[in-house]
Amino acid sequence: MRIHVDYDRCESHGLCTEQAPRLFSLDDDAELTYHAEGSDVPADQQALARAAIASCPVAVLRESS
Amino acid sequence: MPHRPAPTFSENLYSRSAILHPYAHYTRLRAQGAVVWLERHRAYALPRYAECKAALLDDATFVSGRGVGLNPISNRFSRGTTLNSDGAEHAERRSLVAHRLTPRALRALQEQVQEQAELVVADAVQRRHVDGVEDLAMALPMSIVPDLIGWPQEGRDRLLAWGAATFDVLGPINGQSVRSIQPTLQMLRYARTVAKRRTLQEGSLGADLLKAVDEGRLDASGCPKLLIDYLAPSIDTTLSAIASALYLFAQHPDQWQALRADRGLLPNAINEVVRLESPLRAFGRQLAEDTSLAGADLPRGSRVLVMYASANRDESVWDDPAAFDITRDASHQLGFGHGTHGCAGQGLARLEIRAVLGHLLDRVECIRLAGEPTWAVNNIIHRLERLPLELIPAR
Repeated sequence: MRIHVDYDRCESHGLCTEQAPRLFSLDDDAELTYHAEGSDVPADQQALARAAIASCPVAVLRESS
Repeated sequence: MPHRPAPTFSENLYSRSAILHPYAHYTRLRAQGAVVWLERHRAYALPRYAECKAALLDDATFVSGRGVGLNPISNRFSRGTTLNSDGAEHAERRSLVAHRLTPRALRALQEQVQEQAELVVADAVQRRHVDGVEDLAMALPMSIVPDLIGWPQEGRDRLLAWGAATFDVLGPINGQSVRSIQPTLQMLRYARTVAKRRTLQEGSLGADLLKAVDEGRLDASGCPKLLIDYLAPSIDTTLSAIASALYLFAQHPDQWQALRADRGLLPNAINEVVRLESPLRAFGRQLAEDTSLAGADLPRGSRVLVMYASANRDESVWDDPAAFDITRDASHQLGFGHGTHGCAGQGLARLEIRAVLGHLLDRVECIRLAGEPTWAVNNIIHRLERLPLELIPAR
């Protein structure tokens, strides 16, 4: 499982960081950092990753295979 | 799977009694099907979660540019707002103001919001017997966004009525929507005057818009509608969520105690409030092309009703959906919409709700109902009108 982040449309609402804090964080400038960029989501994080995708208010997170 | 015609619902979803008691209707609609033809309103209802979400994510097919209301009059004069636009045009409009509403931009506001919430709560706790709507829920929505947008002080007394009307007018043609046309136009006229006389406060979001006009990035005629776009939706909605939170915690003291014991539950508690008593009932979309949804064939040009408040009580998504439980994961509720048109102001709304509840948690042991609450009648917004409360101070 991989996640595609549409950074141009991200508005930093931060709900993904509450769902999956090991995958997503907001830096000091409230810019989103996705910690598994370019690699597969670790198996133990996949359920949280799906919850993060579902929680994004502007749907900038998409699951890609 | 062979396609069948959608089942029909023949009752008026926007009668006074349906507005005041909506949930039984929503339960019946969800049981009838994923797509239900609303005979009275000439629209296809999407009462379940999956189809609402699918429609919101497919904004190229389920378009907003031909109106999100249920009547052609408001759909015509709502043109030119962010709410009623699609694609690149929508992205451009949204980018003009959304950057002032991101968590980063809101940091500067945080202190102001907290201070104001503290004053409001301290005053209410001292009085002990209060109206949860007028004395607690109304204060922040009536000042934070008007300040942010730079709205003149003298034009604020009518904001609540105007804001409510801009939603009410989006219903089907009924007494409510007809009565709302005049105040909606008054608000637009006032916004035009404000933009023309440039009486918006310096450094505000409104002043940004005037600058965008000066630099040729925004057509001058679009400015008043953008002002309204960000102002009108911010008041009734946030007020609704704060008042509903107070009502729910008054009915469920165990949930208030749970929150007092673990403040970390607060962000999710806000999602749960918005899920259970969604401030927005439903918005429309129009189909840009022939579409098949959940086995129903829907012709191009059809009006579709995305029922957020019903999706948020879908039995197939939520266990015991009518129960208030701040420990369930409510993060994927659709009360703020979802996707491209997802509420741009939700960061600010959450900040205001969090601030008011946070200060109440500091000072109030228990919120008690002190009389029968009443609900406002509005085609779109679901909110309390009056909420008599007794605040039992924490020792």
